[in-house]
This record gives sequence, structure tokens and C-alpha cells, in this order.
Amino acid sequence: MPNRRDFFRSVGGATAGLYVIGHGRPGEAQAPAARRQVSIAGRRVRVVDVHAHTDIPLGDVVKGTPFEKQAAGNPGLDQRILAMDKQGLDVQALSINGFWWYGVKDQGLARAICNAQNEGLAQWVKKYPGRFVAMASVPLQFPELAAEILQDAVTRFNARGVTLGGHVNGEDLSLPKFDPFWAKAAEMGELVFMHPGGADNIIKEGAWRGRGDVGNIIGNPLETTYFLTRLIFDGVFDRHPRLRVCGAHAGGYLPSYVMRTEVACDVRNNAKCANKKKPKEYLQSQILIDTMVFSEEGLRHLVAEVGVGQIVYGTDNPFNWPVTVDLVLNAPFLNDAQKEQILSGNLTKLLRITS
Amino acid sequence: MASRRQFCKTIAGATVAMYAAGRGFTTASAQAPARRQITIGGRRVRVIDVHNHWDMPIPAEIVKGTPFEEYTKGPSLDDRIPVLDKMGIDIAAVSVNDFWWWEAKDRGLARAICSYHNETLAKWNRMHPDRIVGMASIPLQFPDLAADMLQEAVTKHGARAVTVGGHVNGESLSLPKFDPFWAKAAELGQLVFMHPNGSGNLLKEGALAGRGGLGNIVGNPLETTVFLSRLIFDGTFDKFPTLRVCGAHGGGYLPSYLGRTEVACQRANQNCIIKKKPSDYMKSQILADTMVFTEDGLRHLVAEMGAGQVVFGTDIPFGWPVNVDYVINDKTLTPAEKEQILGGNLMKLLRITS
Repeated sequence: MPNRRDFFRSVGGATAGLYVIGHGRPGEAQAPAARRQVSIAGRRVRVVDVHAHTDIPLGDVVKGTPFEKQAAGNPGLDQRILAMDKQGLDVQALSINGFWWYGVKDQGLARAICNAQNEGLAQWVKKYPGRFVAMASVPLQFPELAAEILQDAVTRFNARGVTLGGHVNGEDLSLPKFDPFWAKAAEMGELVFMHPGGADNIIKEGAWRGRGDVGNIIGNPLETTYFLTRLIFDGVFDRHPRLRVCGAHAGGYLPSYVMRTEVACDVRNNAKCANKKKPKEYLQSQILIDTMVFSEEGLRHLVAEVGVGQIVYGTDNPFNWPVTVDLVLNAPFLNDAQKEQILSGNLTKLLRITS
Repeated sequence: MASRRQFCKTIAGATVAMYAAGRGFTTASAQAPARRQITIGGRRVRVIDVHNHWDMPIPAEIVKGTPFEEYTKGPSLDDRIPVLDKMGIDIAAVSVNDFWWWEAKDRGLARAICSYHNETLAKWNRMHPDRIVGMASIPLQFPDLAADMLQEAVTKHGARAVTVGGHVNGESLSLPKFDPFWAKAAELGQLVFMHPNGSGNLLKEGALAGRGGLGNIVGNPLETTVFLSRLIFDGTFDKFPTLRVCGAHGGGYLPSYLGRTEVACQRANQNCIIKKKPSDYMKSQILADTMVFTEDGLRHLVAEMGAGQVVFGTDIPFGWPVNVDYVINDKTLTPAEKEQILGGNLMKLLRITS
């Protein structure tokens, strides 16, 4: 899975790049940038970021396995805090999104990798009180084990939410075999954060070559669109009505271009839809999306289609997308309470952030 | 190309179903419904449909002994006018969008097929000069021949535009080999109407099987998105600044989720050669039809592209929930903008004068 490997490498690279750009020569002591404190109408608002990539060094866990190269993460945490301060981010929900460990065939190894990630993230959370929460990593190629590890991550390592990719080695997550995982996430009320990897499950090899980085620009929203659409039409949201799933990059194309999906079951012959409600009803209840649309009009349209209760702030840190809290703060179509919901309130509830 | 044949079969099926549901226009022309006449603020406006399919059957003598014999079957256009009447459409820009003839390896055969399409559309235009105009069919697998035939369709057969698919046998239309065609379309000022067919060029076999009809619901907007994105990023719009391209189904995902494409070239190592921002092309050289079915969707399209770039489209004879009312009743558009979208933009682009 070349995309997943590339993605992993680029998290490390981007981490280095972002922090170097932000803070001059590496190794030289810097005066920390002032922390931006976001307020709305004079009231301090705790900004929470749902979309914050990281890696964690795994060391001995993968030594001697084919995954050695993929487990040498670059945490750079102190510098990460500086970047958060500059951007006005109070809390980041850290997640590890390369999902290379879905390729591990040995249950014991898969368990050890995810445990090490969850335990490692828990230590970072402790080291910087109030600044991070951690989303659980799970070995979704073993759905029962994934359910067990999610439980373990929440109870033992204080995880808040769980991250997954748009497919498991090419298989749709709407297949019944993944129900044990969905059932556990729903039962525990854990937010599921889905992050794509270029739609390599559905796109022909090489189809994205060329200019404009379309493998990312189109491939990522496509994978998310496909993932959420399958969950809807295959009835996963109906089977697990308490499930909450957040799609990265504003939920891909689905919310912005929801109309064609909305009429699919009425118009297409042999659509064989299993969903009990209209697609938009899931978008307005069980599906959440981040704010990564980069424009006021894009955000206005998202709010119109899904409602402010479904939209959460996301940055894609440490990648260099043009994201800023000002997109929300300056939005003329939002009132103060709505701005607070998007920047803070929705995630504070979903991720149980209390202090 | 199974998907192209499938598309063809579906059109035939949809045609039959639609007319049956519409109280049997075929056998009961005497009871044809009254023609709906659209007015805005008391003023009659002309409604023009850019997205109007005809899976035209090809005569046996043209394709006999070739792999294309199955395309001798297809619906007639006899029932089209009553459908237009009922929906309040004054003029349909009819196009043949299956593009199966792009697989023809023989230039003579490809020319014969496209000539037949263009002559037949001209015949329909002569029969109903104020109701039907034709878009040219061209053999895009031979770009120089495609340019010649576009010229011929316009000058000899009165074609008002030209239709293309999102790829030619898997090849991106932004490749330099297709420049002779783009140059001709730009030179003649012919609107290019692009219609997708399930992203067979991009997707793994069977990837969109399953519930929900995703081959169409996701596959079609995806193909249009990639097609338009390639034309932007590979510089086709810069090379041909007078080129105008209309993407079916609201231009796919591109206008509705423009933010990510807009910032693509700001990031490192994107290898971009474009001279303007993607949104600049969206507001000038790219058009999209209105097939977003809702006021919210339409409002967003207009906000991203401007009312001058959005044109009415129905996907007739398919049974999509389209009507003129979500344009007419839109609360954010001015009467002048509604008139532009329903007909004004296309009157100019398709040179409709009377």
C-alpha cells in the first residue's frame, strides 16, 4: 500500500518542516511565541482540534518484522506545543493515521503495536496536562481484537475516540465482519475519527499521477465519501444508532455534494438500499465532519447541509494547509454560540474534555 | 467497455419507463399535455436544457461486421417534444453521450458514425427549429479528425456545441495530443459539454458495485471532477483562453468542494503550471449544469461560480428529480440571475437568436 507508506513518511517530514519553518534553526534556543488565546464575545473558548496527526516510535515492538521502517516516528512534542500556541489551539486530539499495522497478519504483533501506540500517546497526554487527548489505535484487521483493544485503550489508557482508515486491506468497513468493532465503539460512546489514504482501495494503480497532487486533493475526499456512503447505504448507522463517525477533510465530498446521494435510493434501479432514513438525516445526526474547507462559502454551505452540531474544528497539523480559527471566528453567518460549538463545544462533549 | 454498454442500455430502459409513467405519449399524442410556459415576474423566459441525452441508434449498414452492431438498437426521439412541453423546456440541446465510437480503430468508420449522428441531429433541428438544437459528435480518438468533424458539424449541420466524455480509452483529455481538438473548439467558440460514464478510467473493476447505485452516484461526479481538474492543472484552459467547457451534474464535485482544489498549488511540490487560481477558471471558462436538485446546492454553485456559469440541465430521459421550480423559487437569486441560469447563458453560448 504505497499511499499509506507515503503518508506515514510525510507525517515525519511535515513535522520537521513545520517546526523548522516556525522556529528558525533547529537546536537553537528560541523565545516561545505568545500563546494565542481565543475568545468569543470576551469569553475565553477552549479550541479543540480533531484532526492532528502524529507518529510514535515503537522501537523493539517491531524489531525484526517487516514493519521496522514504519515505526520510527518523530514526536517533536515541545515544538508541537509551540505550533499549537501560535495557532490558538488549546487541545489536540492526537491520532496515528498511517494504518500500516492493518497489514500485520499476526494477532500478537498487531496487539503489541496498538498497545504501544495507545500507551505511548497516554504518556504524552500526561506530560502536557490539558493540551492533548489521544485517540485509540486499533488492529481492525481483527475486528474482535480491535473491539477489545478499544475497550482497553479507553479504560487503561484514557483514550478519547478511536481512529481508523477508510478500508481494511481493501475491504469495506460496512461488511458485517466489522460489526463487533462498530458495536463496541457505539456501546462506549467513542467518537470514530476516519482518515483516508488516497482511495487506493478503489482507484487503479497510477491513476493519480500528474500535476496538482490529485491523489491527495481528490483521492482523500473520494475515500472518505466512499467510506461514509457505504456505512449509510449498507445500514451500519441503523444497526448502531449511537455510533458517531467523524470524516476528515469536511467529510470529503459527501456533505458538500449531498444531493445526488440523497436521491440515489429513489432514482437508481436496483439500488437495494438498506438504510432506513434519508442520507442527509445521518449527516445531521451520526456523522460529524471537520472544518477543512478553507473558505467562508465552503463553511457556510456545510453548516446549511449538516448543521453546526455536526461540525468540529480540524487542522491537519502538522501538514501545511491554510487553516485558521479565524475562518470560524469571522464567519458572518454564525452566532457566538455556534462559533463556540464548532471550535470547542461539540468536541468537548464528544471527547469528554472536562477540566 | 462494459460500463459504456451498460450506460446505453440504461438510457433505453429509462426512456421507456419515463414515457410510460408520463401517460403514454407514444400512443396518445392527441392527449399530449399543455406546454408549460415559464415566466419570471410576468415576463416569459426561454428555458434551455444543456443536458438532454439521445442514445441514437446507428444504421446497420454503417456498423455491419464491426464490434459495434449492438448499437443499432436505441430509442427514437419521437417522444421528446411532449416531455419538453410538460417540463417547461423550450429548447433542448440534444447530445449523444455514450462515446462507444471512440473505440473504433478505423478512421472511416469513426467518421461515418459521427457524420450520421450530426446529420440526424440536423434533421431534428430542421423539423423543430425552435425546440431542438444538436451538439456535435466527434471521433476524439483521432484528434485531428475530431477537429475537422467539429468544423463540418458546425458549418454543414448547424451544430451549436460539441459533446465529449471524461477520457478517451483511458487517456486524459489534457494530454497535448488532444490540443488540435481543443484549439478548434476554442477557435470556433463552440461550448464543449462533457458527460461522464462512471469513472471507468480511474476505478478498479467492480469497485463501486453494491448498494446505492454508486457507479453512477459517486462514479459520475468523480469522472467529471478529475476531467476538469486535469484540464485546470495541466494548463489546457491557459493554452486556450476562449475555451468554454460545461461539466454535467453540477460539474461533479469540483465546484461544490472547491476549497481543497483551490489551495492545492499553494502547497509544496505540486508541480503546478497553471497561471490562475482554480476558482478563476470556475468563474470564466468552466460551466456547470443545475443538477444539484436543491436550492441549497444551487445557491452554493452560484456562490462559487457566479450565475453566468450555471446553466439549466435535466438529464432527460432519466428520472432525476429535476424541474425548473427550484431555480424559479430560489430565494437567493435575482430574477435576472434566474433568467440567466434557465436560458440566458445558453442563448449566448449556443447562439440561439429567435
